[in-house]
Amino acid sequence: MQHDSPSLDKLLEENPRVWRGRDRNLARAPAGLPSGYEKLDRHLPGGGWPQQALTEILTEQHGIGELQLLLPALASLSIEEPGSDHARPGWIAWVAPPFQPYPPALQKGGVNLSRMLIVRPRNDSEILWSAEQALSSGTCAAVLLWPETLDDRASRRLQLAAEKGNSWAIAFRPLAARSEPSAAALRIELRADRESTRLTILKSRGGSPAVLHNVV
Amino acid sequence: MAATGKSPVTARDTAPTPTGRSTRPGKPRVNHPQYALALTEPTFARELLLATPVRRLWFCIYLPNLPLEANGPGEGARAIVEEQRGIHRVLLADADARAAGVMPGQSGNAALALLPTLKLDERNVLREQQVLESLATSLEQFTSFVSIASHNVLLLEIAGSLRLFGGLQRLRQQVATELRQQGFDAALAIAPTPLGATWLARGGRRTCIREPANLATAIRTLSLNCLDWPHTLCAALTGMGITSIGDCLRLPREGFARRFGAGRLIELDRALGRSPDPRISWRSPKRFCADYEMPEEQSDRERLLAICRELLLSHEQFLLARQLGTQRVLLSFFHLKANATQLSLGCVEADRSTDRWFDLLCLRFEQLSLPEPVIAIRLRGGSTQALPAETACLTGRTCPERRYSMPQLAERIAARIGDQSVHGIEMVADHRPQFAWCEKSLFAAKAADVLSAVRCGLRRPLWMLPEPALLPVRQGYPLHRGRLTLIEGPERLETGWWDENGIARDYYTAVNPRGMRLWIFRNRNKATWYLHGIFG
Repeated sequence: MQHDSPSLDKLLEENPRVWRGRDRNLARAPAGLPSGYEKLDRHLPGGGWPQQALTEILTEQHGIGELQLLLPALASLSIEEPGSDHARPGWIAWVAPPFQPYPPALQKGGVNLSRMLIVRPRNDSEILWSAEQALSSGTCAAVLLWPETLDDRASRRLQLAAEKGNSWAIAFRPLAARSEPSAAALRIELRADRESTRLTILKSRGGSPAVLHNVV
Repeated sequence: MAATGKSPVTARDTAPTPTGRSTRPGKPRVNHPQYALALTEPTFARELLLATPVRRLWFCIYLPNLPLEANGPGEGARAIVEEQRGIHRVLLADADARAAGVMPGQSGNAALALLPTLKLDERNVLREQQVLESLATSLEQFTSFVSIASHNVLLLEIAGSLRLFGGLQRLRQQVATELRQQGFDAALAIAPTPLGATWLARGGRRTCIREPANLATAIRTLSLNCLDWPHTLCAALTGMGITSIGDCLRLPREGFARRFGAGRLIELDRALGRSPDPRISWRSPKRFCADYEMPEEQSDRERLLAICRELLLSHEQFLLARQLGTQRVLLSFFHLKANATQLSLGCVEADRSTDRWFDLLCLRFEQLSLPEPVIAIRLRGGSTQALPAETACLTGRTCPERRYSMPQLAERIAARIGDQSVHGIEMVADHRPQFAWCEKSLFAAKAADVLSAVRCGLRRPLWMLPEPALLPVRQGYPLHRGRLTLIEGPERLETGWWDENGIARDYYTAVNPRGMRLWIFRNRNKATWYLHGIFG
């Protein structure tokens, strides 16, 4: 059967949230933000991190390369490109980071330090509130958050705020959250041992699950 | 003066006087009965006056109904009462009350008997003063020299403003319009001396006298009531058959000074321009401070917010008139018994917009707990800085997409979770890892960041622990969730000997069985292992 309803076509084109079944037309997926890791880009729809959406990164512990994974993308977001695109905001908000983000390392990774905003809320509801404010403000290119809990409803709110503010939300969560439902466009699990790391794409809107080794 | 020289001489100062032409310097003034007082006058004062190159012109605004007006607009007959020797007496009554027979000086009860619907208000001198000051501030738009002469008299020096405002008549008209718009019923008079203008205004003469020569004639005809002299003195003078200022001037100077005090004589001299009359210029305050007193205790939060908004609006007006902005606003909520509740609001960039401050206030006000109902609110502006007006779009359209800027976002977050919770980061040129960075306040006044060029070429972890954590050691190996394997290092840092935070450390990159990459160091003095960072 042909698509003969123009409004249906329009709806499918305009709204990336409509699930398309097995129709994996990657050309239609909005362009992603290159992650800086070719291996990963190949498996992500749009060839990079999904923008205007929530990405979840599930890890067992901190310090296994979860920030390293994001660093090239954050660096490209935080650098101002004069002349190219003035409307693009370049602030990166860190909401409730577990430790102190260390400026020398960030700078070495190419991140523009003057574009960092560190927010340290006192409780979980404030974490979500701050993240939502930052996402929907339209000022932050990316918002990294470490919530204690993130239920389905909260993740939906973050997803909507990211769409509204044309921003990218990255939530870091424990592995236990794997079984919880989430509205995130992309869910990634990161595991590591002494020698290697293993990155699993659990859910990818417009893409398919995959397991990648030693990306970082 | 050149610009105004051609404007027509107005009002009643054109009446020919016998002395009008005789005040030129050098002309002898003796043997004229009208100069009886001036005979013993020291001559230097007159020379001084004539030697001043700039001739002053004083615009007096006399507000006879200020006690009524200070209470704000009201409906129905109203009167102001003041306590005199234990009895409330009517000080001032409005037109409705006067029509019913209420007179100043009556007791409050008598006035109520005449007109039961009369609304009696106690006089509020403080409020009158505030109203007068705010009026003085708003009149600064006409001249740089506004003086508060007494509790109901304002003086404007306007000689320098005539050209800008298009002549005397237009300036007078503009001032009158401004006063009417603000709801003041004022008597206006213009004269070359401040006291002369004041007396003319009190006398109800709507005169504009520009030439000092014409001043004496106009003042002479004023009755003694126009002088702000005590009643006993006026009564004594009236008893002597003296009813006008002209009569006073005819008296011998020495006798007058002996009987009624030299001060009175000096006043007369000043009014006529015979002796100098310096005035203090009113300077509007640099910082805003305004109070709102509730008529009754208020605990309705919506209502309190509405009052705060009003205060913020006047704050904006205040700053707008001076092209200033501020980064801080302090609100105090006063209670009857408990201490005042303070609420401080901060802004990353100096601002004056009511909407923005109100937005911040709403966020903070949600969390504010008030121990008791509020009886008054005070708004205090922080130190100000220049904030020029923004250029509006020619077509009058604003940016279609309304979203916050970065400063606004930071303010919103800080307003809810506290100023200390939001900050930026920057590098510091120091080899010691814990001193190689610092938090950058987003609210401090912007300083030039000269250190932004600092670069660190060495491998550093993305996460830093606030304090190095001591690692347990087993069989010579440091442990952190399993035995650590050193994979890089050592990087020896031995520096900081110049203060008490000197370090002597060997830094290593280590990995544990779970794949965590850690940045650890061995303290060379004590041979203990510490965890300092995590390579996220």
